[in-house]
Amino acid sequence: MSLTIALAGNPNCGKTTLFNALTGARHHVGNWPGVTVERRSGTFEQDGSVLEVVDLPGTYSLAARSEDERVAAGFLSSPEVDLVLNVLDASNLERNLYLSTQLLELGKPVAFVLNMVDDAEARGVRIDVAALETLLGGPVIPTVGNREQGIPELKVLLAAMARGESNRCRRITVDYGHDIEGELAKLETEIRRDEKLEAATPPRWLALQLLENNAEAKRRVAESHASEAISQQLAKSFAFLEPHLGADGATLIAERRYGFAHGLVKEVATAPEERLTPTARLDAVLTHRWLGIPIFVAILAAVYSVSFILGKIPQDWIAEGFKTLADFAGARLPAGELTSLLVDGVIPGVSAVIVFVPVIMILMGCIAFLEDTGYMARAAFIMDRLMHVMGLHGKSFIPLIMGSGCNVPAVQAARTIESRQDRLITILVTPLVSCSARLQVFIVIAGTFFTPFKAALAIIGMHFLGLTLAVLMGRMLRSALFSGPSSPFVMELPPYRLPVLKATLVHMWEKGSIFLTRAGTTIFAGATLIWFLSRYPGIANREWTAEYLQQRQAVATLNLPQAEAEDRLRALQLAHESRIVNTSLAARLGQKASPLLRPILDPDHKRPEAWKDVIALTAGFVAKEIVVSTMAVIHQASEEPKEGERLSPLQVALRDNSGLSPLTALAFMVFTLIYTPCLGTVAMIRREAGTWGWAGFTIVYGLALGWGLAWITVVAGRALGFA
Amino acid sequence: MTQNLSIPLSDLQPGDQGEVDQVKAQGQIRQRLLEMGFIRGVRLRVEKLAPLGDPMELVIKGYHLSLRRDESACILVHKVV
Repeated sequence: MSLTIALAGNPNCGKTTLFNALTGARHHVGNWPGVTVERRSGTFEQDGSVLEVVDLPGTYSLAARSEDERVAAGFLSSPEVDLVLNVLDASNLERNLYLSTQLLELGKPVAFVLNMVDDAEARGVRIDVAALETLLGGPVIPTVGNREQGIPELKVLLAAMARGESNRCRRITVDYGHDIEGELAKLETEIRRDEKLEAATPPRWLALQLLENNAEAKRRVAESHASEAISQQLAKSFAFLEPHLGADGATLIAERRYGFAHGLVKEVATAPEERLTPTARLDAVLTHRWLGIPIFVAILAAVYSVSFILGKIPQDWIAEGFKTLADFAGARLPAGELTSLLVDGVIPGVSAVIVFVPVIMILMGCIAFLEDTGYMARAAFIMDRLMHVMGLHGKSFIPLIMGSGCNVPAVQAARTIESRQDRLITILVTPLVSCSARLQVFIVIAGTFFTPFKAALAIIGMHFLGLTLAVLMGRMLRSALFSGPSSPFVMELPPYRLPVLKATLVHMWEKGSIFLTRAGTTIFAGATLIWFLSRYPGIANREWTAEYLQQRQAVATLNLPQAEAEDRLRALQLAHESRIVNTSLAARLGQKASPLLRPILDPDHKRPEAWKDVIALTAGFVAKEIVVSTMAVIHQASEEPKEGERLSPLQVALRDNSGLSPLTALAFMVFTLIYTPCLGTVAMIRREAGTWGWAGFTIVYGLALGWGLAWITVVAGRALGFA
Repeated sequence: MTQNLSIPLSDLQPGDQGEVDQVKAQGQIRQRLLEMGFIRGVRLRVEKLAPLGDPMELVIKGYHLSLRRDESACILVHKVV
């Protein structure tokens, strides 16, 4: 026999830790249908029953406004749920009980977990559990989630309830007072006229939501055939209650609920001692007027270094490993389509996915740590003023800064932003922040066309431009896409807590594996497509392959010293690849598309090789640093400088043959900065925003914006007399 | 001792205590503020302002909450001395 338990509670009440303690490793992370809210479910066995636990997103209420609340409210009223387990933070009981007053209206058995009793006791709050059980009408188990204290008792209780052996549940609801209860009863009568409506939600619960002026409840009523009668009754109820009780329905109901919670807490708990809590002492420093920002910057710098400097080490191993594998396979296997698919398509494709994993895991681990300790809310508190000016949320700051390391985990980091609007805007502007991959392109181009000083200036300018654009686009998207009022910034500053190491590790593993399975497939498919475009039809040309092999053999028969032979072989390989790429589908596409880029990269129409840029930029879609290696292949010049020379052969080729001028080179950099996020970022946007639409939107607006700004660069530059 | 004059919460200074009179915000923000405990007669204390002057941190119903000036201006309180 099996039973589904919904785990409900406020944010920061220790729900997820409790979930982990209940289900152990037997759990699965997915998404709720249609939204990007994570759905965590797992099972445990007790006394022969298998119980399924579903961890709902943490919410303060079931008013169904935010995505999280809609998910929680929807699931709780579905017939799937047999039992509600309400997690209460013992150190913040009154506010936590507000949600309980709503859960008790759902008509399902509710059991309670009184979590973090240790924190409460440290504050001098002692809670009479037996009295709490009586007043809430359901069993209450005290626990300390991160020490697994109380978990065995909880499992036994849940199993007993599953078998129907426990009759500790009585229906208790808040008494809203004579006047409101009277109106509720009248509304219920009208609601019961529609059987479907009655079956979908307990009528009293729906009536309460109507009195609260809840938009979602009104929408549901509007679909009913009894909607007219219900609306009329609602208008009458409002007309009676407001003048009679001196406030509107929402206020009255909230007051009664808090009245219930307040009375209950007074009855069962001792008042906290008036003393400085550890949290207050920490906050005296961490959110201090003068120290707050420097400390935040230091913490951010630490997270950044750990993620992108420490994370680069395994990343380099992975990249090296795959490169060695590709070289090995390339050397051992006969030249041809299949080898190329493996060496130039599959292996780099898999590598392009896996290189992100260490950085993602480390960055997400750091963010989970900041979140679990409670510092993330302080970071948002400190930075909100600045971000609010940009049309963003305080929590948008961290993703934007992390974006300068790599956009992919930065987009994922936006997950900490609760409001969907704020999250979406952050996700959409993050790709404008210049990342370390684009830096490699800038170094090559700027180093070719500018003096070292001007090159450094140009590169810094690109980063500055990226951030400025992120700010401007944030403001524009906010006013263009979400015309309504911005979501309120009503954010709890939870007490600082030491996170459980195991939970952080589990979190890191989940984020890494989700990336591999979801975003990984998209990246891999995209990389293979780009391989196909840039190799066919040349790769299938038998004559070319035969010619190439002959040339290699000819070198081998010359008996040259090894270093020189290797040099020659490399040159031959480059020539062969160059021939294939320069006649590929991508090259044809480049020739067709180059008129589109002419105004920005070839304003005088004097560059016969302008189409080569298109190939490099197309290939750069897989990952921006590939722009450089593709240029090396197209221009048939190595990207590694020879000893003692400042410019690499590629840079010399670009300077002498590509026809780019310093001004068009700058336009090329501007375009590279903005034109479209790399495949990894697009895949991540698709995953985090929930639809391909937003991912497509990012590509399109990036292309348009990149083109526009590169064009302005050229036009303004020429007007100022640069060439 | 309480004063009868209703002022916006945003006018309170760090260290000040107040009692909520009314939430003037409308729609979603109103509902959210009510749920978080901003109901008539509730005591609150302004803890501090963020380093850049906004948002503010306050203690209400025994927990810490941060509010932007936009929101705190919609909450009428009277100062408790």
